[in-house]
Amino acid sequence: MRSIFLRTLVLVSLLAVPATAFAQFGHPFNSPYSGGWGKDNANRLLLDTHWDGTKVTGTINSGGATLNVTDSTFDYSDPSAWKVTLKAEGKDKDGKPVTATLVGALENIGVYYKIFSGTITQGTQKGDFVVTRN
Amino acid sequence: MKNSLRTALVASAAVAMFASTAWLQAQQAPAAGQIQQEGSIAPQAAGQGGRRGRNAGPAEPTPKLADGTVNLGRVPGEKGIWNLPYITNMAMNVIDPATGQPVPEIQAQRAAQAAARGAGGGARGGGGGGGGRGGVKSEPWMPFKPWAAAVYDYNSKNESQYDPEGFCLPPGGPRMFATPYPGEILQLPEQKRIVMIFEGGTHIWREIYMDGREHPKGDQLNPTYLGHSVGHYEDNGQTLVVDVVGFNENSWLDYFGHPHTDKMHVVEKFTRPNKGTLHYVATVDDPGAYTKPFTLAWDIPWNGTSELSEYICQENNRYLNRLQDDFGQPVFGPKQPGIKPVKPAGGTK
Repeated sequence: MRSIFLRTLVLVSLLAVPATAFAQFGHPFNSPYSGGWGKDNANRLLLDTHWDGTKVTGTINSGGATLNVTDSTFDYSDPSAWKVTLKAEGKDKDGKPVTATLVGALENIGVYYKIFSGTITQGTQKGDFVVTRN
Repeated sequence: MKNSLRTALVASAAVAMFASTAWLQAQQAPAAGQIQQEGSIAPQAAGQGGRRGRNAGPAEPTPKLADGTVNLGRVPGEKGIWNLPYITNMAMNVIDPATGQPVPEIQAQRAAQAAARGAGGGARGGGGGGGGRGGVKSEPWMPFKPWAAAVYDYNSKNESQYDPEGFCLPPGGPRMFATPYPGEILQLPEQKRIVMIFEGGTHIWREIYMDGREHPKGDQLNPTYLGHSVGHYEDNGQTLVVDVVGFNENSWLDYFGHPHTDKMHVVEKFTRPNKGTLHYVATVDDPGAYTKPFTLAWDIPWNGTSELSEYICQENNRYLNRLQDDFGQPVFGPKQPGIKPVKPAGGTK
């Protein structure tokens, strides 16, 4: 029990240090995000996104499949809460085509702890998601 | 006796408070470059003054090294530092590189402001005009990409509360020469390198390789605050040209919050038209954040009576302890439970 506590403490400490040290002020999606979706955020959701100067590239993994980002749109009418849509395509573990669409708001833009939340649609599944910048 | 002691202590405290206040005011007083941002970009012959004293009299000739190359530092046996100016908004120092003069829109803004002052308007800098917290719309000459414009408006709206330099992180790129603490340039020709040292900006230094090497390629180029610098001389040794790439994204271009990306490429030119002036020109090409390059320029005055001293930004930085994000959560330190905190009543901070 104590071992688990200590291990958790060390892990949290390690995570806290880079979060403080590596502030990022370029394009908000030139960085990875992680979180979850669905009921109680039970499904892991990972975004490994990059900004190439004109569009967002990278991958979205909502569990079971790693999908390539194919499209991104932004509405900056509220500078403190961007409306963002990310679309991704790929194949699941059975080789079947899968698409995912994330529609939501990007907030806390000025700090490393950026938050992207909204609705994810993947195939016939749909749910709420929340990811934070790692 | 007790009363005398108390009086002496109170008097000492008052003197100490007055001295520290005066010192702080001196630290925050506008240097030559700050005046430039609200007025015109000073001609190269200007800039004889500085925060730590002034060089009186006519401009002295440009000092040279033994081989005739411009000397960008001290004359042997003398003191001296560059009094880096405080430029809060780089957009107001954008020039037309062909003429060396401010872009026409800035000239027009300044003319209008001067006219308003002449008419008793008294407007100066910090309102809607002059890029003074007017956000993107007040700087139509800045070639923002849409996301960069949104970030700049966000930083304008919250008055730069997330400025990384406020976290005591180093300035990146040209901001190093717009952070109002002294700096020095040490030319080491026998070692084929130049070292620039800065009292402020976290007491940091830059190394500029003068040995003809190229920038590292691909993953060998490690992104850093100050980037990777290689330099050479032009104009028969009178202009130092420094090419910089490899910036990380942990800094802003200026206090007002112009963003940049890791794609930023900066070409700096340093000249010393006379002993008392360093003329700094930087062309910023960042295709990640701006649609085209732009060129910045300002003069940096020499102070021939001063030396660098110790300044530690991190010491007693209480700002970090108070800083909260848009949800009212502490930026540094433990957060409330939950991935996405509930926004406090009253909206964003």
